[in-house]
Amino acid sequence: MRFIRLTCVLCFLLLSACQRPVADGAIHFAIAQAPISLDPRYATDAASERVNRLIYQRLVAFDAQSKPVPGMATWQRLSPIHYRFTLQAGLPPFHHGRPVTAVDVVATYQSLLALKDSPHAAEYDNIQRVRLINPLVLDFELKAADSDFPARLMMGILPQDLIEQHHDFAHQPVGSGGFAFYAWQQQLTLQRVSDQQLVTLVEVKDPTVRVLKLMRGEVDLLQGDLPPELVQYLQKQAHLLVKTTKGTNFSYLGLNLQDPLLSQLRVRQAIMHAIDRQAIIKQVMVDQTRLAEVILPPEHYAGHAGLTHASYRPAFSKQLLQSAGITLPLKLVYKTSTDAQRVRLATILQAQMAKAGIDLEIRSLDWGTFFAEIKQGNFQLYGLTWVGVRTPEIYRQVFGSEWMPPQGFNRGRYVDAALDALLGAQDWLAITKRIHAQLPYIPLWYEGQVAVMQKNMSGYAPHADGNWDDLAMIQRSATIAHDAD
Amino acid sequence: MKSIALFILLLWLLAVIAGRVLGLHGQAVDLSQVLASPSLVHWFGADDLGRDLLARILRGVEVSFVVSVVVTLVSMSIGVTVGLFAGFYGGKVDQVLMQVTDIFLAFPGILLAIAFAAVLGPGIVNLMFALCLTGWVSYARLTRAQTLSLRHRQHVLASASLGATPLRLMRYHILPLLLSILMVEATYSLASIMIAEASLSFLGLGIQAPNASWGAMLRDAVRYMLVAPHYVLLVGASLMSLILAINLGGDHLRDKLDIVSSVHEK
Repeated sequence: MRFIRLTCVLCFLLLSACQRPVADGAIHFAIAQAPISLDPRYATDAASERVNRLIYQRLVAFDAQSKPVPGMATWQRLSPIHYRFTLQAGLPPFHHGRPVTAVDVVATYQSLLALKDSPHAAEYDNIQRVRLINPLVLDFELKAADSDFPARLMMGILPQDLIEQHHDFAHQPVGSGGFAFYAWQQQLTLQRVSDQQLVTLVEVKDPTVRVLKLMRGEVDLLQGDLPPELVQYLQKQAHLLVKTTKGTNFSYLGLNLQDPLLSQLRVRQAIMHAIDRQAIIKQVMVDQTRLAEVILPPEHYAGHAGLTHASYRPAFSKQLLQSAGITLPLKLVYKTSTDAQRVRLATILQAQMAKAGIDLEIRSLDWGTFFAEIKQGNFQLYGLTWVGVRTPEIYRQVFGSEWMPPQGFNRGRYVDAALDALLGAQDWLAITKRIHAQLPYIPLWYEGQVAVMQKNMSGYAPHADGNWDDLAMIQRSATIAHDAD
Repeated sequence: MKSIALFILLLWLLAVIAGRVLGLHGQAVDLSQVLASPSLVHWFGADDLGRDLLARILRGVEVSFVVSVVVTLVSMSIGVTVGLFAGFYGGKVDQVLMQVTDIFLAFPGILLAIAFAAVLGPGIVNLMFALCLTGWVSYARLTRAQTLSLRHRQHVLASASLGATPLRLMRYHILPLLLSILMVEATYSLASIMIAEASLSFLGLGIQAPNASWGAMLRDAVRYMLVAPHYVLLVGASLMSLILAINLGGDHLRDKLDIVSSVHEK
């Protein structure tokens, strides 16, 4: 009897280990990193930002050229330091039932300005006052003129009553977006407001495991964070659908411009010509990755389509270095994170630069140490990516001589009076030309975006900045969808 | 088993020598050969940067062997010195030295090595230092235990009565009797250090790119096991075969040096 019981228990355990997840009807979305905080006033990581876009509405949105367009509200510039916003009619209510009014917008921004520990506080430092005019209208008064001000109002709007109650938005968010919070224990589950469809975000850090889960049907879709070889492998799977699109996230090599070697333009040009970007993109990047020249892509309203691509000319690089009086090989230290794809790219750069007489030493550090060293300016070269940049203000924050860390992102300590003058005039074409010529960054590429899903999923496609907005439209059909993409 | 172990070790030795003679360095990046399958050009295929996998495996075994030998020698020197002094002098010296040893023993060795490697930063020198920090303890324990019994042997007492200094007694009358047992310990230690080096490199704390290391290669290979299974299989099999051969060699050496069992066999 005991033996039979033991056998039954063992069989049950074995079977339960084999079974697929409970068929709860939810769409399972595999992600590399779970969100950390769903309070938009505190969220900084990419996953939290992407989920918050689903849960909360914002005053402004962006068009295809990244120009700000009305989101929840339209606006008027009453003076260079005075903006009036009017809420659109028929806004969906908050998920706890209360209608959205200008009171909530005022409460959201006032609470943000009052917070001392919000990482976003500095972005809104120019706001002098937020004033309620009537339940549909509010005013922003600024300390100084800012023509791009509406583009900064990307904060998700919270309900005023819950702000006053000090509600825990970080873990139980309440917004008025297309998705409502449903549960968050081991996995975060959201509920689509329009049809009650559940979407569960499943954190799977390892890309191979993520792919295996998709192939077994444990998850319905995944997006990004895959080596290109895995993407090619998935493209061959008959039951899966792979969709790619051009990206806008800008990968670059950062330079320490206080370094006596790297402060010389010819050395920077030599590095630029020592990298065969085309070969890297072709062989080890996902489809639709394209060459970059400056942070904002050509299709951006502040982008520049006429910038020439620097070609791979190692012999010319050597000449440049020698003409700068450098004894070859030029020894440089390149810092990167321990991420496998980053180390892989670093090794390729090392091999390519060796042909140009540059001896690149790779130091891969854990993310915390790496990023701390970059912020402290303790580097010669490093590799990073700008994610989700929308406004040309980024040029001021990254290259403006008054924007050194910790206030700004001028981590290379670049000082250029001519560029400062152009930044003051907001002449974006001239600014991009100047940056392209002076190379305070070595531009690499805009990485393509990829999403992979079961063939019975439809309505989802990746976006250039990697957001998950199409979860609002994704559908699971009983039969396999024949998607034209 | 002895012949299998010897055969595998010999094979590795010949392969490394051949690699050196042929000038295989495994550093040449060739993006057109990324994850290429085994072929006549690349017998073991190519890695994720198009580098020849066979050349990198051979370079990996060299690195692994150098790290293991250096760490074993340094650990053994420290451990034997500590153990000899503790066992020979006894009393307070023994207590202090053994308590220090116990503190190091209380930590899981690999965890301590990971912590030190993380603090010191990645790199081959720091890796060896981290492994030495934890590697000496077993030698110290073993040497002390043996010294405790050897110091009362007649020849040691006779030499002491003739006026030999403690250092001379340890150097000429005790240490030679420890060598055989230390050699067996060193053989096992070689294998465990190889695994530890691979583990730390797997975690990114050991040998840095572009230098070849089996641990780092395994870490990279796992990412591509769906698209290039030969990569992970060949690196894994190489590591396994070498560790197995060293352990079998250690077993054989122990049997050979075990006087009691060899007398019984006769």
